[in-house]
Amino acid sequence: MIDDLYAIEKYAYRESLVHRLDARIKLLVALAAIVAIVALPYSTKVYELGAVLFALFIALWATSRLPPTAYLRRLVLILPFGIFLIGFQVFVKNPYYDIFHTIATLPFGIEVYAESVQFASILLVKFVVSVSFIILLSSTTKMQEMIEAAGRLGLPREFTLTLGMMVRYIFVFADMFGRIRTAMETRCFDPLDRTLPYRYRLHQVGYTVGTIFIRSYEQGERTYTSMLCRGYGANAGLYIGKKPLRAGEVVFFAATLAFIVLSTVLIYLHP
Amino acid sequence: MHLLETRDLTHIYRGNVHALDSVNFIAERKSRIAVIGPNGAGKSTLFKHFNGILKPTSGEMLVRGEPITKENVREVRKFVGIVFQNPDDQIFSPTVEQDVAFGPTNLGLDKETVAHRVEEALALLGIEDLRERVPHHLSGGEKKRVAIAGILAMEPQVLVLDEPTAGLDPRGVADLVAFVNRLPEEYGMTVIFSTHHLDLVAEMADFVYVMDQGRIVASGTVDEVFTRPDLLARTRLDVPPIPKLIRSLQESGVVINTAYTYEDAKKSFLDAYARRA
Repeated sequence: MIDDLYAIEKYAYRESLVHRLDARIKLLVALAAIVAIVALPYSTKVYELGAVLFALFIALWATSRLPPTAYLRRLVLILPFGIFLIGFQVFVKNPYYDIFHTIATLPFGIEVYAESVQFASILLVKFVVSVSFIILLSSTTKMQEMIEAAGRLGLPREFTLTLGMMVRYIFVFADMFGRIRTAMETRCFDPLDRTLPYRYRLHQVGYTVGTIFIRSYEQGERTYTSMLCRGYGANAGLYIGKKPLRAGEVVFFAATLAFIVLSTVLIYLHP
Repeated sequence: MHLLETRDLTHIYRGNVHALDSVNFIAERKSRIAVIGPNGAGKSTLFKHFNGILKPTSGEMLVRGEPITKENVREVRKFVGIVFQNPDDQIFSPTVEQDVAFGPTNLGLDKETVAHRVEEALALLGIEDLRERVPHHLSGGEKKRVAIAGILAMEPQVLVLDEPTAGLDPRGVADLVAFVNRLPEEYGMTVIFSTHHLDLVAEMADFVYVMDQGRIVASGTVDEVFTRPDLLARTRLDVPPIPKLIRSLQESGVVINTAYTYEDAKKSFLDAYARRA
């Protein structure tokens, strides 16, 4: 559960060509791939571009030397969010077609249309490609690097500072929760213990949640005071040092970006 | 059979962090045991094995000669009470009284017994007047007492204190020492504590374990450990001022008996002066 939080970045801390790549480049490549697959107008050409981009993703994933199971596990976690919307599409008509052919009839007058299945599958391709690049980005880039990259690319400091503190405090919060849980276990409290009255358990869990809120609030106040003591004001921001790109990185970026743009344009123009 | 015993206890945290490495630790009845060592030596990790919060990666953790299992973990936690360093982690009920009652209630005791135990624990720590107070209005020392009362209300045989003196004022430290020293004699309890206050070790402990980098690098009586200044220096610790001063005097040719506690030192110095006169 919460212990897994500490392992969330374990893949990002590995070593490989892709891991070493500057986070700005990874961020922009992922963004380019997502924009390309999303921007390609609705048609069966999405399948072709999807295959090309997915091949690029597989090549990069292989270079990162991460196990395929790591990708699949993360994909399975994210899939339900899209699958529900996509699965629902096969039952309804959409504005891209004029005539719909029924391929199956279910009880209660629900019908599955061939055109809707196509629509859903194109949606699925767009979804999987986008998510895959996000997984690649998050599995090979540390959170802190991602924030720094966003800052170097011009994300306003109000955002980078807030994001940086959020990452920091997620772990402070997890620590706090972990210690409270340990203290409760030490005194033999288990919220699922059936020998204790239901109301009592509910009360105690309520107190715990309340304690965590009060302590988060107090922690926030303390942190803010200490920020003020160190001169925090309207002009403050996250310190992000300069980091020039290496020649190899620039070449890789130019080549990958050209590959994505060219394949998108060519597939789009190809009759 | 020992109350607590670890056999080659090894614990490796996620990410291959070796927190404990072949630790052999024994606690007997009515003993007072200090575990000293620098930050990150593994003291807290060791303590969390005593009541089954953590499970050994390898080796054994025996409580009254038996390993901790799913079936006996409740019994173990009743038997071994741990007071954590930060009382805020431990106190989450709206009032002091309710918080002290938390442990006994979880043990499934009836209302009268719970009330009786709360009464005893509050009296033992002299905090009856805090009963109705809310935890976030307490001072650091008061919170510490409430945290200890919360554990004592479960009537453990072994009391484990993680850095009990951290953040207490001198009077608070003195009160705590006096209180802890009563427990083995009056209640037959075993007290295990960790501390960076080395001058308290002689006042509060009969036996000392020195930990460094997940290993027990030395153990023995107060005498045996504090006569090894090189060992203490190597583990980022130091000999407390009183024995250090006496040792310096001895090295300069002054005839004076070694002492570790304030009272013993007073006696040594008076004797030494008496001899000179």
